[in-house]
Amino acid sequence: MRAGGTIFMSLAALLLAMPIVVVCAAALNGGRSMFFPPRDPTLARFGEFFVSEPVWTNALTNSIIVATGAATLAVLIAWPVAYLLWSTGSKLSKALAGVGSLPFAVPPIVIGVGLGFFWSFTWGLGHLWSGVISHAVLLMALPLVTISIGLQSIDRSHLDAAATMGATEQVAFRTVVLPQTVPYTISGFFFVLVLSFNEFIVIFFVSASAYSTVTLQIFNSLRNGYTPTMAVAAITFLTVSILVFAAVARWGDLPRLMGADQTRK
Amino acid sequence: MTVSENIQIAAERSPALVRRISPKTVLYAALSTLVVVFCIVPFILVIVISFGRKVDGAGWVWDLTFDNYQRFFVGVLWPDEVTFLYLQQLGNSFYFAVIASVLAVLTALPFTLLLTRLKRSAQAIWLVFILASLSMSEVFIVMGWDILLSNNSGLPKLFQVTGFTQWLKDVGWFQTLRDIGLANPRNVKFKPSGFATILTMSYLVWPYAVILLYPAFSRLDPSLAEAARTMGANRWTVIRTVTLPAIRLPLMGTTLLLFVFLLGSYVSVSVFATPDKQTTAVAIYSNIRGSNLDAPFGSAQAVILLISASVCLCFGHLLNSKAEAR
Repeated sequence: MRAGGTIFMSLAALLLAMPIVVVCAAALNGGRSMFFPPRDPTLARFGEFFVSEPVWTNALTNSIIVATGAATLAVLIAWPVAYLLWSTGSKLSKALAGVGSLPFAVPPIVIGVGLGFFWSFTWGLGHLWSGVISHAVLLMALPLVTISIGLQSIDRSHLDAAATMGATEQVAFRTVVLPQTVPYTISGFFFVLVLSFNEFIVIFFVSASAYSTVTLQIFNSLRNGYTPTMAVAAITFLTVSILVFAAVARWGDLPRLMGADQTRK
Repeated sequence: MTVSENIQIAAERSPALVRRISPKTVLYAALSTLVVVFCIVPFILVIVISFGRKVDGAGWVWDLTFDNYQRFFVGVLWPDEVTFLYLQQLGNSFYFAVIASVLAVLTALPFTLLLTRLKRSAQAIWLVFILASLSMSEVFIVMGWDILLSNNSGLPKLFQVTGFTQWLKDVGWFQTLRDIGLANPRNVKFKPSGFATILTMSYLVWPYAVILLYPAFSRLDPSLAEAARTMGANRWTVIRTVTLPAIRLPLMGTTLLLFVFLLGSYVSVSVFATPDKQTTAVAIYSNIRGSNLDAPFGSAQAVILLISASVCLCFGHLLNSKAEAR
């Protein structure tokens, strides 16, 4: 049974890794077409993606702007909502959290279409800033969840102790609540960052072909056939994801963030 | 948020204002406005525009007509002529989403059970791996499977070179593959096909399935299963009578969530599905951004997709609260 379990998990890992490995290996192709295994391996594609081809460097810059902007904005909106939810537990705060998570819960193409209409009426269609806001709206649910988990982990007796020793609400907030929730806030930030980086359908509708992010550029190129440079994008994105999640696992409690039981180790 | 902060700071400076409106009220008002404008208005716009009317060669105008919905359910020429083309597309959406989500949950189930029995540090490493593949963009995943399944450089080529194709022909299974459209006379052929579509969609949500099942599974109390074992139940009896009933609700909830997510998946269907198996999501795209330029009809399709999704989500929520109540 134990051996069978290990074999099953390894098989699952293999299947999970297969398409990703194939895409990454294709980046080494020397020619203009994708082959697997790669022919005439070279690292020249990395130079094209990061330095010399403006199509890709522009797309990468846009992706970075949208992802960091959306992550910052999402955390800034999610923080007060999560805090109100935790400190008051009122009906209104619950409604705020529920409605704030709505865009993430419906099929992405519907919110993509909706935001596309929304920006066409508010002069935002095809601007980078509207892309930033759109992703923040779409992914706000993630920091909302992580920050709420962080706030729930605060021992209320710490707050009582602070109050007994004469700390005002603001001081207690600054010295007890904030420090204990920082790892969860950062996790939320990075979850949005990574998912925004990889998001396709919403940014597709709100960009209106006026600019392109890396995922948009890849989708456009899918029609003209693959080029190895696209695979470099895949490697870059994968590296970013692994680094981010490894950092969350290293400095935060990833199993807890994912909802594991606290009593067992 | 920044606005509300400014107001808060301003409020602190002038005590007269504090007495009248508390900073919390301002914060609530600001957040409510923000959430309503960005999370509700887009949906309302889709719903309102779905009642609009297309103008030939000039986009569309506001209106209150049910033509778009009539076209969706029975076709433009109803009652003289009835077509179910768009209902069929919705049916395809459901078909792909149901099979792919069930497949993903069924295979993620044993995996997650095994995962939660590992040490905490090992779990963290697996979670990093799963989250990394979860966050991979749909376009990369489709690209990967497209290469893997392509006739010239993927699995079909591998099958041919290793003689697996010949073996299939010898055993007689090749004809079966041809009958279900997964082979041409010379070799196996995986795309375009429903198989490739479902495989990719299932792959796409598999990490989500693990992540969603993980909390429920890691809270399973191992002592219950151990007690049953001590009392003489064999392994399968334990799984059937102790483990499965405990995770039944999260299983169904997860399947529903994945199903809703897959209802709107666009890239895998547009790349892998055969033309007669296109889905509502693809139709929405071609109406709003593609060649048809019929935003009202695209919106009507989006509304129908939204309603389907909401019904499923409400059902899932009901299951969840039932699970919490126990």
